Amino acid sequence: MNAAPLLRVEGLRKHFPFTKGILFAKTLGQIKAVDDVSFEIRAGETLGLVGESGCGKTTTSRMILNLEEPTEGRILLDGEPIHGLQGEALRAYRARVQAVFQDPWSSLNPRMKVGRTIAESLIVNASRNRRRGDRARIDERVRELLLQVGLRPEQAQQYPHEFSGGQRQRVALAAALASRPKLIVLDEPVSALDVSIRAQMMNLLKDIQAQDDVAYLLVAHDLATVRHMADHTVVMYLGKIVEKAPTASLFEDVRHPYTKALFSAVLVAWPGQAAEEIELKGEVPSPLDPPSGCRFHTRCPHVMPRCSQQEPALREVSPGHFVACYMFE
Amino acid sequence: MTVETVLEVRDLHTHFFLRRGVVKAVDGVSFSLRRGEVLGLVGESGCGKSLTALSLMRLLPKGGARTIKGEVRLGGENILECTPAEMREIRGRRISMVLQDPQTSLNPVFTVGDQLREAIQRRKRAPRAAVMEEAVAALRRVEIAAPEQRIGQYPHQMSGGMKQRVVGAIAISGEPGVLIADEPTTALDVTIQLQYLKLLKRLQAETGMAILFITHDFGVVGRMCDRVAVMYAGRIVECGPVRQIFEAPQHPYTRALIASVPKMTGPVGRLATIEGQPPSLMDLPAGCRFASRCALVEQRCLDVYPGTVRVGEEHTADCWKAASS
Repeated sequence: MNAAPLLRVEGLRKHFPFTKGILFAKTLGQIKAVDDVSFEIRAGETLGLVGESGCGKTTTSRMILNLEEPTEGRILLDGEPIHGLQGEALRAYRARVQAVFQDPWSSLNPRMKVGRTIAESLIVNASRNRRRGDRARIDERVRELLLQVGLRPEQAQQYPHEFSGGQRQRVALAAALASRPKLIVLDEPVSALDVSIRAQMMNLLKDIQAQDDVAYLLVAHDLATVRHMADHTVVMYLGKIVEKAPTASLFEDVRHPYTKALFSAVLVAWPGQAAEEIELKGEVPSPLDPPSGCRFHTRCPHVMPRCSQQEPALREVSPGHFVACYMFE
Repeated sequence: MTVETVLEVRDLHTHFFLRRGVVKAVDGVSFSLRRGEVLGLVGESGCGKSLTALSLMRLLPKGGARTIKGEVRLGGENILECTPAEMREIRGRRISMVLQDPQTSLNPVFTVGDQLREAIQRRKRAPRAAVMEEAVAALRRVEIAAPEQRIGQYPHQMSGGMKQRVVGAIAISGEPGVLIADEPTTALDVTIQLQYLKLLKRLQAETGMAILFITHDFGVVGRMCDRVAVMYAGRIVECGPVRQIFEAPQHPYTRALIASVPKMTGPVGRLATIEGQPPSLMDLPAGCRFASRCALVEQRCLDVYPGTVRVGEEHTADCWKAASS
């Protein structure tokens, strides 16, 4: 347990300026998309990042992918800060941290055979050791990758449109695996897939993790998916972490009122099984003008006077289980 | 059971006639819907559930789709025989529909008030002030806060959940007896989804309308529906009360589908999967359509399509191996 984490996120903030006008733009305010977020991912583990739209989970994952610069805070991979990397070092980082997105079309070129797409990922990420005569080695690796994701090697010669949705997602995964990454950001990897295909994809992801010891950052809104995939789970609301815990302990003992509401809203698949139903009133407030104090206090069924005055800090309520709520102080 | 049947669909066939061949997207669908009940129509993409809904509305997509056979009885009248003019009278007043993406149902350049007014004025002539009042009342009914202000807003000024409420308000403004909801909450966040589902339930209790709820999410089925029909490759393969379908599914496809859903409780292990692909709708097998993926397959499954077997009270399955009762 004491092994150094693969990825460490420390006090991460991302504020987007909100402007008016085009030429003489005026900054009207800052959208605090991500506000003081910290967590760790260990090698070969899965961290689930859960929350509703606008909670900052995608912005967080984009910063980890080094596609956005954080406003504050830092991200360390194997102890090395990742922002400010350039040239070869940045390329090496991209080889070690890959991504699979919800819509596989967005990562595949419709006019390129999928074998070529996967090979390209290999070539780009291994440009330093490109030599003549590598052709056969690349073909061999593409073959291997296709087999690993449960496709047939001869399917390398097909175009993306010839595949079903689930198969396209497998191709996207093969391309992500090409550079033997240490971490893959999975942004809603199964939510566009049909139920039966979803289960296949989840099993495949787990198998690959077991084989390659790759870590996943799983960004998802479906709690049941996270429960089956993640070792640790982080719940976000309006740019803040409201609860984080080992997945098993979180699902056994939900603490934060928002997480509770989220759990109760996840429709229990068995009729009559929903024990406690918490229907939250209203909608998520605008991140442009977040509520003072605890950001959830406007919708919280247990709101107390101090909730609107001061922000509760994350506190450890049981080993590894952190909650940001005054009810637990 | 003397509850009035408001919608009866019998042997509905809607096919796409393409140059390459005939796609039998809806191929013999039968079900009935009673006053005040929610019937779930569940299945994976391409099983024909949305096309079934569009066939009931007589709003088939352009490009070769035609309903070639069957009956859709709405209060005793077969609406497949109605003229387009008669259909326009029926839509909105007797049968209405809510789609997945509210953005596609609302016109971005008109205020929601204009769009509600249009729906109200199509039904009756009334002074402007009275129509306005009715539009505000319609928004209040779908629990939109401050409807007097919201009515002057454009769709882009509203959140997804609120837009879906506006679409709902328009759909039920004509007090239809049947509402078809095609994945109305799929695009919404989970807490907003719960709000919307509860709203639908409350509206249904008030009006007694029957809802055909199309979804692929068993969680939604468990919370919303009284009965559920499972569709596979253009046909309903199992239909019954929600509890029975969840606890004792009789069709192997239903069983496999339920097993593959990740659960919120119980052991975390490998998920069950369904191997293979559904058959091509252009080239359907003679026998059971699930046979090529079924673990219990035998020769007769490949040769002859099983009839609909009664397996319990109001519970039917299209399977040779289902125990009839």
